[in-house]
Amino acid sequence: MKLVPTRAATMKFNRRTTMKGFGGTLSLPLLESSLHADSQAAIKPPQRLLIVGNPFGAHPDHFFPKTYGKDYASPTTLRGLAWLKDRMTILSHTDHNMVSGHGREISFLSGVLPSEAEAFPEKNISLDQVCARHVGSAVRYPSVAAALGSGIRMSWTANGVERYPVTDPQQLYDQLFLNLTADQKRARTELLHKNKSILDTVQNQMKLLRQKTSVVDRQRLDQFSSSVRELETSLADRETWLQKKKPDFDISEHYSQSEVTITNKYDAIFDMIGYAFQTDLTRVATVEFPSELNYTSIDGVNRSYHGCTHNGRKEDLVSELVAIESFQIQRLSNCLKKLDSIREPNSSGSLLDHTTVLFGSGMGYGGTHSNRDLPILVAGGGFKHRGHVDTSDRSGRHMPLCNLFVTLMQRFGIERDRFNTSTGTFDLPSV
Amino acid sequence: MRVFFTGVHIMLPALLAPMILGSEVLLKNHCGDCHHENNADDLFDLSELTSENNDNQLQVIGHSLDRVVANEMPPRKHAILSNQEKRNLIRFLESLAHKAEKKLGEHSPAPMRRLNNREFKNSIRDALGIEDVGTHKPTANLLGDPLHEGFDTHGETLGFSHYHLEQYISATREILNATLLDGSRPESTVYEISPDQILSEHTSQNTKRPERRGLENHFDFLDPQQLAYCESFKTVPKTGWYTITIRCKAKDLGRYDSDSTGIYDGDPVVLKVLMGDRTASYPLRDEQESTIEVTQWLAEGTRLRMKYDTDGLRMRGNGNFKFQNAITGEYLEKHDPNLYQQVLDQRTPIRNGELRAPTAWHNWVDYWMGPRPQILGVRIEGPFYPTWPPKRQTDLIGVQDGEKTAESVLTSIATRAWRRAPRPGELQPIIDLVQAKQHLGHTESMKEGILAILVSPNFLLLHQPELGDEDRFISKLSYLIHSSSPNDDLRAMQSQGQLDTYDGLLQLLNQQLRQSPKVSFNHVFPSAWLQLHEINFMAPDPDFFRYYHRKKLSEDMVAEVQSFLWYLIENHLPITEFLSADYSFINADLAKIYEVENTPEDSVLRKYHFTDGHRGGLLGMGAILTMTSDSLGTSPIHRAVYVLENLLGRSPSPPPRDVVIEEPDVRLTETIREAIEAHRSDPNCSACHRNIDPYGYAFENFDPVGTWREKYTALTPNSNASKSVQSTSFPIDASSEFLDGNRYQDISDFRKLMCSEINQRFFVRCFITKLITYANGQSPKHYMQIEKLVDKSAESNYRILDTIAAVLDSPLFRENQKP
Repeated sequence: MKLVPTRAATMKFNRRTTMKGFGGTLSLPLLESSLHADSQAAIKPPQRLLIVGNPFGAHPDHFFPKTYGKDYASPTTLRGLAWLKDRMTILSHTDHNMVSGHGREISFLSGVLPSEAEAFPEKNISLDQVCARHVGSAVRYPSVAAALGSGIRMSWTANGVERYPVTDPQQLYDQLFLNLTADQKRARTELLHKNKSILDTVQNQMKLLRQKTSVVDRQRLDQFSSSVRELETSLADRETWLQKKKPDFDISEHYSQSEVTITNKYDAIFDMIGYAFQTDLTRVATVEFPSELNYTSIDGVNRSYHGCTHNGRKEDLVSELVAIESFQIQRLSNCLKKLDSIREPNSSGSLLDHTTVLFGSGMGYGGTHSNRDLPILVAGGGFKHRGHVDTSDRSGRHMPLCNLFVTLMQRFGIERDRFNTSTGTFDLPSV
Repeated sequence: MRVFFTGVHIMLPALLAPMILGSEVLLKNHCGDCHHENNADDLFDLSELTSENNDNQLQVIGHSLDRVVANEMPPRKHAILSNQEKRNLIRFLESLAHKAEKKLGEHSPAPMRRLNNREFKNSIRDALGIEDVGTHKPTANLLGDPLHEGFDTHGETLGFSHYHLEQYISATREILNATLLDGSRPESTVYEISPDQILSEHTSQNTKRPERRGLENHFDFLDPQQLAYCESFKTVPKTGWYTITIRCKAKDLGRYDSDSTGIYDGDPVVLKVLMGDRTASYPLRDEQESTIEVTQWLAEGTRLRMKYDTDGLRMRGNGNFKFQNAITGEYLEKHDPNLYQQVLDQRTPIRNGELRAPTAWHNWVDYWMGPRPQILGVRIEGPFYPTWPPKRQTDLIGVQDGEKTAESVLTSIATRAWRRAPRPGELQPIIDLVQAKQHLGHTESMKEGILAILVSPNFLLLHQPELGDEDRFISKLSYLIHSSSPNDDLRAMQSQGQLDTYDGLLQLLNQQLRQSPKVSFNHVFPSAWLQLHEINFMAPDPDFFRYYHRKKLSEDMVAEVQSFLWYLIENHLPITEFLSADYSFINADLAKIYEVENTPEDSVLRKYHFTDGHRGGLLGMGAILTMTSDSLGTSPIHRAVYVLENLLGRSPSPPPRDVVIEEPDVRLTETIREAIEAHRSDPNCSACHRNIDPYGYAFENFDPVGTWREKYTALTPNSNASKSVQSTSFPIDASSEFLDGNRYQDISDFRKLMCSEINQRFFVRCFITKLITYANGQSPKHYMQIEKLVDKSAESNYRILDTIAAVLDSPLFRENQKP
């Protein structure tokens, strides 16, 4: 395993520069968007979304608390998040009503399998991409996706196109914090300029349109011309991003031990995402824990992730599985702790209070291959959290998970009341 | 609303004075007792019929007319109108409708709207004269089109934002990059690919696990989910012409029992070649080598892949392919006991030291002999160009310093793209742009110019007021039939005056719609009208209705509806066949759901006459019955609302906003009818539901996938699992009574009532209304004009093409164009 990247010059190794939070520099990190002229974004705190997913769900006995409500005893897997107990909600009895077996977990964030996507106007678009589209060019990267080794196919665009995560921390670093080469910049600037000329031409064209139009036609033409103007602004934004230096960041602390494990790497990934949130490089991030990764560097884990899910209820194997699941929660917990230690500018809360966090899977539990009863947890985001909630209705029917997604989208500032298979919303008021 | 109309009521007599006096009295006598503004139990008051300030006046009148015509109003228990009185009342309401309609004008022009994605792709294709937008999925990032009542042509719903515009620009750029080539002519290469250089792609994002490679002499397709690709030709290296030659054959069709594989012996094994999103399917001959040769223009970056195109091999386990291997064991046990025993003897102990059971799929993985395509070799040659630059390019934009000026090139593209000739001077900004980009060279600067044409509002927005009357009419007609801009044939017919008359339009439809079921209208319109996209929105539960999912029944069901419409078009039949036919189009998969025996063992849809009185036409189709069900149970209300809205065109009003709809507690009720009756005991609900529910009960003998049932099997899902289910049975009562006093005992009775003259007229009117909505991008309001169209349709016995022609010839479609 190649440890420290060769480009030491870009990844600063001075440990002294590492300070509280995600700070890689000694001074307060500059908000990317605050560099941008008269940006409103810096004044009103932005909404962010962090989604963490795995392909096998969770061992139910160790994930779901035994009792409902707020006074539950923290189950083993979630112990890492015990400090956040009052600010998170665990949802029981919610899923996408999928038949059991592998391969359906890819519907985690959409509720729709690619093979059935034609039934939906937005195909099997995933929650993260709906939010990313909403963010648009307000930040440098509408969304960031990361994993180690390989992905779990949870992110899909509006036309059912699969989005691959960045599967190497070095690449993620390069993408987020490395500045483009002069050639890359030139090529991208050229394309932006070409598109700018196209928009100018379209605007000149519009001046030549006859004015005899009905009210509705007028409205639609206005919609068109404001789209042209907004796109112009957006292209200008992008050119600003292109020219502007990216924030500095240092992830060397995770690479300072003699052996770099997946723990260090995931911590590095989460740190980079946390810092990208803090500097407003992005507002939507997804982190995936793939099945193929070797988890044996975790204490007490000797088998493959998939192997542990088929444990035949043997206690030692179950404990290995729970160790892997707790590991995922612990990485997330570390990140959230840091997010919570940083004050959100222009607001009373922390970054975490403005970051909706979703942990879960499209599979319920790998051991039974069940895709019902998905393990779902929501934290942060300025919600009035509800502890452990049974979401099934009086006749015992599970809540479509898309109901929760509608609620999360609304919190993100998106005006919509339906998403794929939703039948309503999940009651989670904001503070 | 209510407050607003008080006072108008007082004026009512004055307004009605010039009308037929007897009818006014009739209206007051028979309707006024309930429909007055002070009656809190009734949401409708008579003054709304005459209130000129009411935007929905015409709708209200139409609604009232429908109810009187259908003998639902006045209620029978209050009064029975004599025939004469009824005629008078109808005539009176019609005169109100005429008056209101006059105010509205003769037509409401189709408002401007953006192209939907389907139209966008077709229109660019036709503007550039290419086969499709390209094989490199250039439009993959366009936003999906939201639907309005199933229609993707609804202007208000489609919407436009800078995000759309940006995707249009980048998609069009991609299309142009694969159409217009610059630089020197790329070299052609021949790729000889042996079977062991063909790999089976993994379906996960894990790139570490090795992919299955073909053997020395053949590559076999196993899991239909997995696509195969050629190692040395994963993607197209340079845009250009390629010839792909595949030597292949089908293997082992019919060896395994088709109940196990889900593959019928009567269906050929089909090899599908995927060139990006362009596909070609080839039925293969069993055990006989054949050669497929295909020459295509492929874009750089296109992934070339092949797959086994089947809906089978999902019957075992949860549907994943590996479980199918168990079929091999069963086959060998019966047909090759020696090999069977040999394989079992070779088993090695698994982790716990035991041997796997003989039935376990794991044992048989290496012995698969299921139906499959087999590839013996692939040869790819390309890119080649008979001329350079390619002819398709020079045809479009000429050559550097050639005879064609930028203006002439851009004018002919813009004329096709904008659905009209550009006005003098109108192209100047674009010509200026091309001039300004000259430093990029001829091809690149022309690309910018063409791009500007294709992201102009003149292209992206349909029904522009810019269009002259003739251009507007032909454009509307062309998008209705072909979902694309008008071609030369259509223009020629128009200039010869052929489209000016009803007969001319009928002749056009005869030519163009009857050409092929693939004509855009023939599959897009029925899907939109009947909202077939919804079929898997709340799909039947995958654990309880396995067959539906395993054999992808939704595709067969949608195809059944489309085949039915195509049959009507092809044979000049009445639209009302949808209600009255005792036949439909089924294949072996649907036969299983419909419990029809002795049909051919294949996937071809064939006309079948049902003799049980339960099926035939739309009312017995799986698509309709599935779409209107919940995942575990049926809902008479959903089905009733579907019938009213989509077949009879009589939208019931949704529950008032302040009504709290309690989730019914079905644990205490024995049947769904009890649950529904419970809510009907609430007067707030019953006022409307007396009228709605009878349209749904008749279907109760059909379960959520449309299979006949005599009893309910109550499914009691408990918290853990889908699998442990207790079931109890209750007999089904599918009878009900309509407000007009007609009763039915079951679906057969109900079907007869649905064929009444009144209901046939409602159905045809609904068809016409939906057709106009599709064509104009907004629902028509002109009640009386549509009634006239129904009359016209009736003259031709409601024949489908005649009815469509009547609509196209009416002011509602022609707008002010009629000469």
